[in-house]
Amino acid sequence: MKYQSQKVAKLYFIAAIGLFVGQILFGLIIGAQYIWGDFLFPTLPFNQARAVHTNLLIVWLIFGFMGAAYYLVPEEAETDLVMPWLAKLMFWIFLAAGAATIVGYIVMPFADLAKLTQNDLFPTMGREFLEQPTITKLGIVVVALAFLANIGFTILKGRKTVINLVLLMGLTGLAVFFLFAFFNPTNIVWDKYYWWWVVHLWVEGVWELILGSILAFILIKTTGVDREVIEKWLYVIIAMTLITGIVGTGHHYYWIGTPEFWQWWGSIFSALEPIPFFMMTVFAFNMVNKRRRNHPNKAAVLWALGTAVMAFLGAGVWGFLHTLAPVNYYTHGTQITAAHGHMAFYGAYVMINLAIISYAMPLLRGREAANSNKSQVLEMWSFWLMTISIVFITLFLTAAGILQVYLQRFSDNPLPFMVVQSKIELFYVLRELTGLVFLAGLIVYVASFFVGSREPEATVEGEVVAAS
Amino acid sequence: MNEPRFLLRPCTWVYLTLLLLTFITWFVGVNHLSGRFFAFLVFGFALLKGQLIGDHFMGLRWVAGPWRWAIFIWLVLVGTLVTAAFWRTL
Amino acid sequence: MEKPRWPPGDLVIWIFILAELLAFGIFFAAYAFTRANHVELFNTYQLTLDRNAALINTVALITSSYFVVRAVASIRQDDSRRCFHWLLAALAMGTLFLLVKSAEYHHHFSQGINLSTNTFYMFYLSLTFFHFLHVILGMVILLAVALKARRGCYSAAEHTGVETGASYWHMVDLVWMILFPLVYVMR
Ligand code: HEM
Ligand code: HEM
Ligand SMILES: [Fe+2]
Repeated sequence: MKYQSQKVAKLYFIAAIGLFVGQILFGLIIGAQYIWGDFLFPTLPFNQARAVHTNLLIVWLIFGFMGAAYYLVPEEAETDLVMPWLAKLMFWIFLAAGAATIVGYIVMPFADLAKLTQNDLFPTMGREFLEQPTITKLGIVVVALAFLANIGFTILKGRKTVINLVLLMGLTGLAVFFLFAFFNPTNIVWDKYYWWWVVHLWVEGVWELILGSILAFILIKTTGVDREVIEKWLYVIIAMTLITGIVGTGHHYYWIGTPEFWQWWGSIFSALEPIPFFMMTVFAFNMVNKRRRNHPNKAAVLWALGTAVMAFLGAGVWGFLHTLAPVNYYTHGTQITAAHGHMAFYGAYVMINLAIISYAMPLLRGREAANSNKSQVLEMWSFWLMTISIVFITLFLTAAGILQVYLQRFSDNPLPFMVVQSKIELFYVLRELTGLVFLAGLIVYVASFFVGSREPEATVEGEVVAAS
Repeated sequence: MNEPRFLLRPCTWVYLTLLLLTFITWFVGVNHLSGRFFAFLVFGFALLKGQLIGDHFMGLRWVAGPWRWAIFIWLVLVGTLVTAAFWRTL
Repeated sequence: MEKPRWPPGDLVIWIFILAELLAFGIFFAAYAFTRANHVELFNTYQLTLDRNAALINTVALITSSYFVVRAVASIRQDDSRRCFHWLLAALAMGTLFLLVKSAEYHHHFSQGINLSTNTFYMFYLSLTFFHFLHVILGMVILLAVALKARRGCYSAAEHTGVETGASYWHMVDLVWMILFPLVYVMR
């Protein structure tokens, strides 16, 4: 760590991990409700617990992105953050608003929360991922503006690197597209149409820029490969992301009442969306193979490579699986979608967050370069536990999805939804059991911050392998 | 380059060939000539033009190794798919 | 002389070119197979296209590609001024393409044709417009290269930038070579 103001990142990372734990606990609750329908009913109905699971996910990922930005922007710009106090203030505001909202979901029926927060004045609540009360949404906008101003001015003041500019572009996009959360047309076609501008254009557009730039930063730091090489890769990845991802939104416009040409546009362009993810995989492995030095923080390199592989699998492969209109006709809204959603979110955005945390946290806590061996070994265990669990969760949900599609939509004698659900219950049980393994992995992960923190730093055994 | 010069540079010959093939294609088009022969004639020209552009303009002719065939392979793939799709309908 | 193992220009542009070619390839195949299911429709509406405009545009792109070849040849002889002039000529041809294509679009739109009119027009408009955007992008790249050439940033020894821009521009030309017979002529 070179700049004092980078320290604020630590707060953000800690909050991110805390909320991550909450997300998984609620994942287990809704997973249990899939098996025992009235588990915790009526205290905590499925829809509200589900909202907690998904909103905690989004919020902690954004906490992580902000932490990442506060860490890497000063380092790249070679100057202190312009307003570290603002970053701290916004942290507490964001955390308080988030916590209040989650508590709201948990302690009262959704309709009461809507009434309490005066949703009638300016209705925006209730849509998936955008369930938050309007006032929370406004709070998010304030936090986002302050955040963008902070890192924007820092970038303006200091050295302008490609990584910083791409990151700023991605974060600005994140804020801009969030504004569509306030747009709530009564026509349900338009409503869905713009809803995807938040959801899709986030994860398959601007967030990918964030992902690319954080990945590039970690690779520069851990491999010592020339910045110019990495920047060139970043350019093509960004270009391909935008070309395919923007029009690729069409893969959500097949059956919502939009014109038919979207079936073509959506199919063709989204079929190409795996390309940038694939490039990222090639990019990461290429850079690590060309490395000029071995970095003592092996865990961070593992997370970075893991991101590149799992993002390609989850988004690229599992996304492609159901993205062509004739396939999506059958799979739309089934467990196939959930399978893809889990692996893509984990592989791309959870893992990139854990990668930057893994790289930065030791430095923020006063280490020279890396944690002790003991703590890294534990962290790598958690990597494998969580990653393998999510792979299995994905496989079980995919199996459930295939059966669901067949029994409910494809066979000659289609069965009703709930009948099918009871026939595929076995997979929900397996998913829940695997979820427990995931939780174990997460506990190991948290433990890795405390174990071995008094032991000496890991060092590199064996000097530099490759020359350029 | 020490290839023999026939009055014009090689790339100019390529350019003139491309123009010629284009004019034939246009002629087929404006006269609404149809059927397998004409359709695949102009399509064959298109693939040939593609190969000329790849070889001479993009310079792949002077490259060794896999990149030498990048454009060629693309043309073969597109050629096969389009031919397969058109064949029965003409 | 040993042949180089890498194509001219920056390798990254070639990876980009491959990705773009894949996109166009999929689009072409989708067109062809969809046409196979709607032969009547495609044959009928294909006749409403302007083959003369397409001829002008094909010639414009070929010519501009040729000019770009000459620009690369000039810089290899260390002549940046000439390189700059050839690039300007290529840009002029690109502009001609954009104008003619816009006139075609204007004609179709003034007849109330849009993406939802029928499947043929959906493909015609999408494919040509996707290509249109590539012409614009290619011209932006060429313009950037041309301005650098004028400032004398390239030399016979180091002109990767010129080759990079040139390779991309040839790709834009190459794709149109297929598009022209496929959409305007074959029936
Ligand atoms: C990291 C990137 C990605 C993430 C985080 C992600 C996440 C998700 C999520 C959560 C959903 C469910 C949305 C809902 O209905 O609630 C979804 C749907 C979908 N995703 Fe992705 N996705 C990503 C990339 C991709 C890519 C690259 C493709 C295509 C190649 C793709 C194709 C689809 C399709 C077709 C659907 C709609 C499924 C349906 O009709 O039910 N996704 N995605
Ligand atoms: C302990 C592990 C987990 C369990 C048991 C679990 C369970 C669930 C359940 C039951 C749903 C509701 C599906 C529905 O509405 O039908 C869900 C949705 C979702 N979960 Fe998880 N989850 C887990 C971990 C995760 C992780 C690690 C992530 C992020 C990487 C995640 C992201 C999501 C997303 C994005 C959705 C919405 C998906 C959709 O609607 O298609 N979950 N989860
Ligand atoms: Fe999407």
